[in-house]
Amino acid sequence: MSVESGVPVPGTEASTGESTAEVTLTFDQAAVDLDALQRSAYALAAELTADIRVRGGDYVCTLFRRRQDLTDDELKHRFRAEVNDQVLRARIARETEPLRNLVFALAFSRTGLSEAGETA
Amino acid sequence: MIKLERTATLLSPHSWQLLPLRFHRLDADSVVLTSMVGEHEFVTPDELDAVVDGTCTDQELLARLRAVHLIQLPGERLPAELLAIKLRTRMRRLPDSTGLHIFVVTLRCEHTCRYCQVSRQPTAKNEFDMTEQTARQALELAFMSPSPHIKIEFQGGEPLLNFPLIRWITTEAKRMNKEHGKDLAFVIATNLALLDEEILDFCAAEDIYLSTSLDGPADLHNGNRRRPGQNSWDQAVAGIRLAQERLGMHKVSALVTTTAASLNRAAEIVDLYAELGLRGVFLRPISPYGFALRRRGGADYEVSQWLEFYEAGLDRVEELCSQGVPMMEIYASIIAKKMLSNTDPGYVDLTSPAGIGIGALVYNYDGDVYASDEGRMLAEMSDRTFRLGNVHDSSYADIMLSDSLLDPLMESVTLSAPMCSTCAFEPYCGADPVFHHTTAGNFLGHKALSAFCQRNMGVFTLLLRKMRDDPYFLDLMRQWAQ
Repeated sequence: MSVESGVPVPGTEASTGESTAEVTLTFDQAAVDLDALQRSAYALAAELTADIRVRGGDYVCTLFRRRQDLTDDELKHRFRAEVNDQVLRARIARETEPLRNLVFALAFSRTGLSEAGETA
Repeated sequence: MIKLERTATLLSPHSWQLLPLRFHRLDADSVVLTSMVGEHEFVTPDELDAVVDGTCTDQELLARLRAVHLIQLPGERLPAELLAIKLRTRMRRLPDSTGLHIFVVTLRCEHTCRYCQVSRQPTAKNEFDMTEQTARQALELAFMSPSPHIKIEFQGGEPLLNFPLIRWITTEAKRMNKEHGKDLAFVIATNLALLDEEILDFCAAEDIYLSTSLDGPADLHNGNRRRPGQNSWDQAVAGIRLAQERLGMHKVSALVTTTAASLNRAAEIVDLYAELGLRGVFLRPISPYGFALRRRGGADYEVSQWLEFYEAGLDRVEELCSQGVPMMEIYASIIAKKMLSNTDPGYVDLTSPAGIGIGALVYNYDGDVYASDEGRMLAEMSDRTFRLGNVHDSSYADIMLSDSLLDPLMESVTLSAPMCSTCAFEPYCGADPVFHHTTAGNFLGHKALSAFCQRNMGVFTLLLRKMRDDPYFLDLMRQWAQ
């Protein structure tokens, strides 16, 4: 999968068993922004907490499960899938930001809310 | 003869632009895309990737996405203008400010409900009644709202225990309104146990609506709503029938509060509402406030259990509708308007900025003003975070510009909240700073850990899946959105 498609490329991954206290996933910094990893950890806070560190050209994410019913593989899939979605969301947001701003500007012009800015 | 041919605009790869859109994976094969104003379209995961990558060749899909402003041709101006108009339309209530004004005319109550959210007082303690002087000051504030629509809702306790004040406020409000010219409406939120001919005559003459609680069949209702004689259900049902007969079928409505005992009885509850000719049933979860929280009054169930209850109730409503029984689930109908129309129904729990203060104000019996009924309940538990002032010493500006109101409003706006800002359901959802203050200790909450978020995400995905898979349900939602 390519970086352009918005899909991160997990590098090495390590876990110490089927349902261990912690699971490690590694992401290539060239493929995934730190912001996407942090957003993923936030969004999955009910299921896990994450420790994110930089090692060489990678982000090393150590995942600690909060839900005991998730296996190591399920935890890794959940995190990877969330990271993929966060990368895609960031890409869509980046590409559409000018149009989003235009819509808001059109919507709230002539409401009086923008007068201060217009006369400044 | 000139032959006219309809030529469709065929889009070649990479020839379209994305408009601001958000997505949510409903299941393995289905993703819902939503626009800035909540219009939506279902696609497969592969189709989402192809649309974003610019490689989609499915002209029918691209046409559908253009129709709901998820993509546009480069240089097009119209989609942005239409989105802006729809956005303004959805937010048109904001400048109007507060339309709902809740008068707590007494804390006295003759019920001792297990889940009661308010601080009830024995029926003999008149010191917990609102006075005419306090009511007059509250009316002055209510009429200062710029809203052209003013709805005065009488609450308690049991408000009919202070019926003379209800009569006084109604008369006085109508007198004051001759000057203000507002669209003025009145609702009494009552358990109906004290309904009599005098009250009915007054309601008929003054065009007053009644809103009551009906939790389901007699054993369920009476188990939750205790009063001397254990006849709450008999009184409520008799009152509903009497009010329908005297005031009209549409003048009385009822609400369900779901306790653990309700969870397996959704169909029975809906059937009772249908039997009574009530056109709407509101399958509400119990609130985490007041006595309900302190005493765990039936609130000992998980969000997932409530969602199962809700789905069962919704299925029963749909089944009845298919048999020709006119019925709707009120929460679904509120969301239908958000999903399938450009109007926002202004339901205070599902708006952003939040509905506190700017959607509803509460005037307590003692003159204290609260940003919401839940805020008043918290104050009864010694948490006065949402107290905005007092009618006797606060001006309208003091109340509406108080930090107690502006801080929670600003800190909870969904368009800038973590997770909410990128959530596909943001146009349908709302901010609830009182709930999150209560459960998380701050106005925003952590949405991944929030029961409010879990519940609403569950309802939105349920409704979207049903609309996707069930054409009859989609038709129902379209009717409810009208």
